Amino acid sequence: MALNGLIADHSEIIRKGLRAVVEECNIFETIREAGCATALKDYIRKYQPDVLLVNPTMLSESMIQQIKESTENKKTQLVAVVYSLHDEESLKIFDEIILINETKTKISRKLTALIKSKNFTGEVDDNVLTVRELDVLKLLIKGYSNKEISSRLFISTHTVISHRKNITQKLNIRSAAGLTVYAILHGHMSLEDLA
Amino acid sequence: MADLVDSDSRSMVLLTRFGIDLGFGDKTIEQICKEKQIKKDFFLLLLNVFLNPDYFPNKKLKNIDVNLLLTYLANSHRYYMEVKIPLLRELLQSFLPGMHHPVKVTLEAFFDGYIQEVTEHIEYEEQVVFPYVSILLSPQMGKVPDKEFQEYGIRIFEKRHTDIEEKLSDLKNLMIKYLPPSETDRFLRIRIICELLDLEQDLVNHARLEDQILIPIVEQLEQRVKR
Repeated sequence: MALNGLIADHSEIIRKGLRAVVEECNIFETIREAGCATALKDYIRKYQPDVLLVNPTMLSESMIQQIKESTENKKTQLVAVVYSLHDEESLKIFDEIILINETKTKISRKLTALIKSKNFTGEVDDNVLTVRELDVLKLLIKGYSNKEISSRLFISTHTVISHRKNITQKLNIRSAAGLTVYAILHGHMSLEDLA
Repeated sequence: MADLVDSDSRSMVLLTRFGIDLGFGDKTIEQICKEKQIKKDFFLLLLNVFLNPDYFPNKKLKNIDVNLLLTYLANSHRYYMEVKIPLLRELLQSFLPGMHHPVKVTLEAFFDGYIQEVTEHIEYEEQVVFPYVSILLSPQMGKVPDKEFQEYGIRIFEKRHTDIEEKLSDLKNLMIKYLPPSETDRFLRIRIICELLDLEQDLVNHARLEDQILIPIVEQLEQRVKR
């Protein structure tokens, strides 16, 4: 699963330094940087990062609200990057805290644990298929190709492929025949549907 | 030899493929290999591949007797077809009646499809790939430049080398996660899952032998012979 991270801090030195460390952890496929609150807002909306590493002073109450709303079902993990004194209370909203003087190993361990504990992102949080994924599953079982599925459901083939990826990831079943058994077991389909 | 089996029971399956039966008393690996006329190095090589998932015999590739390797692979095929799959089928046959009709039907179809796939894969290897390798090995080959033979290449096999493990792992996950709990079939279900895990591991090793040892050797042979 390709994770994307966002680093937000006013200081370019901090951003670049943190980036260098985080890149070596090999957790994220893409890492972006935001140097001001406006860019931060913008990027959250545009890219919906899986993990946001942020200087707590950059986050206002309204911004936190915005993060929660704009990232919809995909939950962004909040990591505070701390190098000055903060009210302990104010740090409670964060999922993890990184201190600026911590070693690379420690930071890497914290980030890895964070991602593992949350089972990546909200997308695969629980292994129940979404309505759309079920639609794709049913057509898949009937032997339709990606292209046929895309035109039947009015979505792009790219979306079909990503649905398929999510289905196999959630269920851990890859073959069409195996998915058929799953669908029958869960009452998504009947034998007549297959005929 | 007894120490080997004691330390890792998976080696028992390997022994059967070399025609070594249990009951060997205190004989050493060397003694038994001599008795059965098995090349000790080859035996040890396969043992390592079998027991150690990261083992890769870079340097020893040249010394491998390809004929022995083919015999070993064919023996493994026989073991899957004659022992493992019938056993799984039998276990499933006693398990299925407890299921709802639609589940039963689809599971049965799924398993039949899987056997079909395995059978085809094995037949393809034995009827196309292995004879091809044998021709490569035989010295008279150069006399009759068969066009079909010239155009075939182990690369084709590599492309065709479908993943027959996929369905097996699906079946395992269905048994572990998705089939509804049932008190009556509890132990039968565990047995089936154990069998599936065992076969899965065996097939992984088998595929590694083919992909990492057979194919590289044959590629070298191709370069020598076809030039």
